[in-house]
Amino acid sequence: MSEATDLASAASGTDPRAGLRATLALRRLADSLEALQVDNARRHGWSWQEIADALEVSKQAVHKKYASRRPAAQTWED
Amino acid sequence: MFERFTNDARETVNRARREAEESGADPIGTHHLLLALASPDAGLAHEVLRGAGLDERRIRAEIARLVSTPTRALGEEDAAALRTIGIDLDSVLARIGESFGPDALRTVGEVPAEETLRRRSRRVGRFTPRARKVVELALREAIRLRDRQIGSEHLLLGLIREGNGLACRILVDNGIEPGDLRNALLARRERAA
Repeated sequence: MSEATDLASAASGTDPRAGLRATLALRRLADSLEALQVDNARRHGWSWQEIADALEVSKQAVHKKYASRRPAAQTWED
Repeated sequence: MFERFTNDARETVNRARREAEESGADPIGTHHLLLALASPDAGLAHEVLRGAGLDERRIRAEIARLVSTPTRALGEEDAAALRTIGIDLDSVLARIGESFGPDALRTVGEVPAEETLRRRSRRVGRFTPRARKVVELALREAIRLRDRQIGSEHLLLGLIREGNGLACRILVDNGIEPGDLRNALLARRERAA
């Protein structure tokens, strides 16, 4: 627990390690949420273009990132 | 389950656990076991894998290729780091769960939210169902071969027998027929005996 407390006090300050670690965690969280919501949008019938617009990225980017992932993940699992 | 493991096999599982933790992808998957078996410390399994052209470096590259999704599991360290900037990961996951069901994130790519939640209650070092099966099959292989203990070579045999894990995919993608690998391992055992 004290480790987490140390980290907490460090990240609010100027320790680069703690600050960067928080950035990484936030990115992971954002990536997870994006994957979930892209999937959700597809199930709601959104086009790749609509999803791309909402995320303010190119259609190619979002399509490349998500279009083929689901089937691949199903057959072979960890 | 681990009481009949040789030190060698225990060490292999520990290495797999470390690999999983370091990749932020705990629980342990079959690919982490494969990586651990390819370590020079894994004895016979290592030799057989090397003989088939697979070393740790190659396997790492394959894992990166296969699981390079934009998402990575959120672990205990992520939760701690998020707390430092005022984000309570539990609340976030709970909110998401309200709308999408408790295991919503699990069904998306490689993000097992439920696993993450459970893991963060300090139960680190768990296995994916497939990796657990590998361990069970290793035990069965040992019994079949009338060995009294489970060594790393039995883990490799279990991994081959399981047949559908990411580990086997790595074998197949590298032109290795799992059955051949099994035979090579058994032949080497004979010679060593």
